[in-house]
Amino acid sequence: MKPNKQSLPDKNGFFGDYGGKFVPETLMYALEQLEETYLNLKDDDDFKKQFYKDLSEFVGRPSPLYFAERLTDYYGTGSIWLKREDLNHTGAHKINNTIGQILLAKHMGKKRIIAETGAGQHGVATATVAARLGLECHIYMGAEDVERQSLNVYRIKLLGAQVHKVDSGSATLKDALNEALRDWVTNVDDTYYIIGSVTGPHPYPMIVRDFNSVVGEELISQSKELFNKMPDAIVACVGGGSNAMGAFYPFINIAGTRLIGVEAGGEGVETGEHAAPLNDGSPGVLHGALSYLMQDDSGQVKSTKSVSAGLDYPGVGPEHSWLKDSGRAEYVAVSDDAALKAFHQVSEFEGIIPALETAHAFAYLDTLMKGFDSNSNIVVNVSGRGDKDINTVAEIDGIKF
Amino acid sequence: MNRLTKKLTDLKDKNKKALVAYLVAGDPDIETTLHLMKLFVEAGVDVLEIGVPFTDPIAEGPIIQKAHDRALKQDVSLSSIFKMIKKFRVDDKQTPLVLMGYLNTFLSHKNLIEDNEDSAIDSILVVDIPGELNLADYGIENKNVNTISLISPTTNKDRIKSIAKNSSGFVYYVTLRGVTGASNLNINEVSKNIEEIKKYAFVPTLAGFGIKSPEDAKLLSECSDGVIIGSSLVKMIEENSQSKEFDRISKYITEIKQAIS
Repeated sequence: MKPNKQSLPDKNGFFGDYGGKFVPETLMYALEQLEETYLNLKDDDDFKKQFYKDLSEFVGRPSPLYFAERLTDYYGTGSIWLKREDLNHTGAHKINNTIGQILLAKHMGKKRIIAETGAGQHGVATATVAARLGLECHIYMGAEDVERQSLNVYRIKLLGAQVHKVDSGSATLKDALNEALRDWVTNVDDTYYIIGSVTGPHPYPMIVRDFNSVVGEELISQSKELFNKMPDAIVACVGGGSNAMGAFYPFINIAGTRLIGVEAGGEGVETGEHAAPLNDGSPGVLHGALSYLMQDDSGQVKSTKSVSAGLDYPGVGPEHSWLKDSGRAEYVAVSDDAALKAFHQVSEFEGIIPALETAHAFAYLDTLMKGFDSNSNIVVNVSGRGDKDINTVAEIDGIKF
Repeated sequence: MNRLTKKLTDLKDKNKKALVAYLVAGDPDIETTLHLMKLFVEAGVDVLEIGVPFTDPIAEGPIIQKAHDRALKQDVSLSSIFKMIKKFRVDDKQTPLVLMGYLNTFLSHKNLIEDNEDSAIDSILVVDIPGELNLADYGIENKNVNTISLISPTTNKDRIKSIAKNSSGFVYYVTLRGVTGASNLNINEVSKNIEEIKKYAFVPTLAGFGIKSPEDAKLLSECSDGVIIGSSLVKMIEENSQSKEFDRISKYITEIKQAIS
């Protein structure tokens, strides 16, 4: 099948073999309602006007496409450009999606907002938009992530939301998602669930992708303006895959641009201790969608390992699985060590402290840049800033405050 | 005829309500589960529903989640469950068995369900698939194993109709908005929805989720063809798993049975 960005997902929510709606019956009605609302609103002029107004005035879009001069010199084989999602209000791409979904929630008359979060960025972005509309907000977060992202936990609380620590299972992002789904099953009548990535049951992967696609749309016009052609490659980190999907989607039909997703290799893909389902997983069903999944022979979901809380997830958005199988996008993995090295390097070379998630995309430049000549243009999607990770990195470096 | 269909038809002919009881395979270990299955049947359970443990059971409340975790610590999988059922079937060839679990574990063991050696199981209930679909839609083919469909308080009338019409075994009516073991039962709503289901379903409609006492069971049995009890039993199993003294459970099942008779 030839990839066509206009055609997917199909009416059942599938991207090729992947996606769908695998949820308890109680949620089916809520998903149908959400889909109907979204399809009615997405091309509505007033809705679009409000969405872009909020992105401009509240988030500060468009985010710049910035020439990384010292990194470019360091590799010496092509220009490196940074799509600065880290400069968005709240510090990551996550706000693009929450700005859009809170408008859907408001339109549907929902009074209560829930969300899961891993690194805490989606929790902050959700608490932020809920505060703006004065809506009750509950954020589910794995106990391990509450520990390693304590700064974001406090930010969420400052924004007036309640943080629910999740102790079950592996106490990370996947368990936070389980608990958010359980809340939704119980409070489905008055509650809107803002999923934070291109994961979950249909229509979420489509909705989250569409709201994040502003990143790729801006990239097209900025590339024309700054180097007068399309990028040769776009590199983005992939956990659930929302920042990558937002950057990739408008480029799916632009054949000259390589799309490269970088997964969390943890201690190394070969060790099995990682969070790289597209590199070392198989198709399975988790959290409402069929997609690549880290699972054992009995169909049990494996625990993941990554220094980055935002990538520490055993599944991935179904559209990425389809892009992988169709060959349109490439998916690689880099280890914790490589990501940490890139974290320091980008901070020192460019004056930008990237999120640990984003550092994975930077780390892959070591391999990628060898294949390009000096006329090429490579874009790294800087999905978020690293302020939230200072404690984690300091601890690894043996520093106590 | 499939054991489940036969059992439910017999009960209906005698104007009796069905009692379905749930437990998680491997909680606290496979041997105890096997013992409990026999004990349940002796105490009056008509159909056994065996929970297949999964790492991410999104429809379960805390009581059953913990039971899944305990079972997974024993490395229980669908293949060890089929081995356990084989032992169960040595003495009991009559009691219908329903496997209840999440799609991913069934997809990983297609062959076990397709073989279903010696007709060990009768039915499968997949918590996380839409009500209209059955395992054949996911490439698992076995004509003697049917898929039980769920209908919930939020299922709209159009879908109630299409799910009920296509159901086999029984229709599982989820009595509340919530996870297993929740406690916000609304009997009026339940009774209205079951009436709607019965307009279309060719099979009995049983009510589950949120039954905490013989009184709840009695109320629900009055508007349905039977009841499913889960969390309250799993809680008792947890509380007595050290001593392995399960008299309390037998007594509780007997009380429920009397309440719905």
